[in-house]
Order: sequence, then C-alpha cells, then structure tokens
Amino acid sequence: MTSLIAVSQNNTIAAGERLTFSASYNMSGLLTELAQVNMETSEVRTSKSTLFRLKCTAATYSKWDSFFKIRDLYESYVSPKTLTPYLYNRDISEGGYEKFMKYKFNHKTHTVASVKRKKRSDGTTWEEKKNVSIGSSTKDLVTTLYHIRNLDIHKANIGDSQNFTVLFDNKESVVNIKYLSKETLNTVLGKKECYKLAISINNSDVLKGNNDNLLWLTADANKVPVYAKFKIAVGNGELKLKSASGLKH
Amino acid sequence: MKKTLIILGFIAAILAMILSATPLSKIAFIPCVLAFVFGISAFVISKDKRTSKKSIQLIFLMTTLALALTTYKAIFTTAELGNTEQLQQKEEQLEDESLEDLEDLDIDEIDIQ
Repeated sequence: MTSLIAVSQNNTIAAGERLTFSASYNMSGLLTELAQVNMETSEVRTSKSTLFRLKCTAATYSKWDSFFKIRDLYESYVSPKTLTPYLYNRDISEGGYEKFMKYKFNHKTHTVASVKRKKRSDGTTWEEKKNVSIGSSTKDLVTTLYHIRNLDIHKANIGDSQNFTVLFDNKESVVNIKYLSKETLNTVLGKKECYKLAISINNSDVLKGNNDNLLWLTADANKVPVYAKFKIAVGNGELKLKSASGLKH
Repeated sequence: MKKTLIILGFIAAILAMILSATPLSKIAFIPCVLAFVFGISAFVISKDKRTSKKSIQLIFLMTTLALALTTYKAIFTTAELGNTEQLQQKEEQLEDESLEDLEDLDIDEIDIQ
C-alpha cells in the first residue's frame, strides 16, 4: 500500500482561522444536535519564538447542560512552519468528570513529560507526573488533525493511506487515514468537491465498523474539514461545518 | 392478542412520553409511530367485541401528547450554546500557563533539524 504524501512544511494552516462545527447524533434520520465544536488557530509569542496555538473546544448546547454538560478543551502549541507540537493541553469536563493532561514534547530526546490531573469524587485533585518515550514522528491528537489537512492529497491516488502515531492517555496508537474517493457535498461554503477519507485506529474499538468513520476535506488548498461521520454503538455521530473564517487561501 | 397489543402500545406510549420530555425528543417519533400502530391494531381486533376500549383510548391520548410536545420542540427550539464563561476563563488561564512553560524553548534550533 502506498502512502499519502506527508509534507513537513505547513502550506495549509494560517493563524486566525476559525471553524465552527455542530455535532449531532443521528438515529434513523432523526438528527439531534448535541454540541458545538470550535477549531481555532492563533499566533502566540514567547520571548524567543513565535508559535501557533491550535485550539479545539467542545461545549454542549444549553438544552443538554442540565443532563450531561460537556466543556472540553484540547490545544496544542506547534511550530508555524512544520506544525511540530511542543506543548499539548487537554482539559475535559464531561458530566462531572474532570481530567487534565499536559504533554511537553522534547524532540531531541524523543520524550514527553506528561502531567495528569484528575478530580476525585470528594472534590480534591491528584496529580501524576510521568516521562514517556515516543517515536520520532509521534504527535498529539490536535496536531494530528491539522497534519491530516496538511497532507498533499492532490498528489495521492485513490486507495493510498497514511499512518500517524498519536499519543493519547500516555499511550501511542496508530491512526490510519485512507483516501477513498472524491465527492461533491453541499456545505456552508457552497457546493464543494471534497476528498473522502476513512479514519481507523489500530488495536482500538473506539471507532466501530470498517470505512464507517469518514472525514470530508474540501479538495482545494485549504482542505477545510466540512463533514465527518462516526459510527457508534447505536446510530451515527456527525460533525458538520457551520462557519469558517480566516482561511489561508 | 389484544392484550399483548395493548401492553406493547402502553410501553411504546410511555417511552414516547419520557423521550419527548428529554432533549432527545426527536427520537420520540419512533415510539409514537409504534404506539399508534399497536393502538390501531388493538382497536381493529376488538372492534366487534363488546369490551372496554378505555385502555386503547389512553394509549392514543398519551401518544398524542408526546407527539404534540415533540413536534413543538422540533419546530420552536433551536440549538443554542449555554454558558461558556468558565471554558473561556480556562482557555485564557491555560494560555498563560503554557506560554510560561514554553518560555525556555528555542524553536528555531529545533526546526532546522
């Protein structure tokens, strides 16, 4: 199997980009909107360097807040040129369950200093610090999402695939992206030709089915994720782009 | 047969009422349709007999209520974002913390590799 062309230069992502999605649960065509998902990029400066902050947040709509309130934040600080991650934060609050994870990447020694903070049922928190060895191309979840957009899909053939190693919960897993076909979708950006990609995680049962977890990226230089579909135990989950601004091209 | 249909009708109608009260109200359409089908079947079966049809009427009543609520919700409620102030505060706090953590990082040195 040949691989999609993985580029090391960032040609797709610009600072100031803001994508808003609506996550829904679909059961036999009855669509229930669950949450709003935002993906934002911005430029941040330290005294020595300029970085991109890639931020993804998810918040349930108000009608769900009293049942199961979700306020999730996933973010990554990456190099603007190569999208190499240096720091990753994950702060989740899902129906009373709270967890915080921080990875500090050291690309010279191929290690990650991870900090995990969890809330106990009595309200106190506990912390766990760990050093994790990683592969040379291991990334965090958020960076991987942006790296998928930065693939040179226009040079790839249908059926090509690419593996990404993702660090999640201090464990590395391999995520496989396969280019299935080109499809035209009606989106908020108009009628767009899109790349249809299948996502699967090796040795994991989080995503069910074969080629049932799909992602559509616009077939232009921006490769905006316009639609995603996930198969879960009962019905489907889907993410649909509601608005996009600050695109690079 | 009639009894089974009435019991199934009741289960579907109760399920429809419960679902219609939750944010998952759109899914209540499924048990609503089922309750109607069971209710009508039970009604047809017992048509000629002189038995009480009170329970079937109750199924219809419950289903109609659930259906009305579901339809109302589907038309008049829009998905709105709740209070995200806490999340925004967290975002700002994390940015400050992260920039402190990244202060000693020399990105150019690593990027050249």
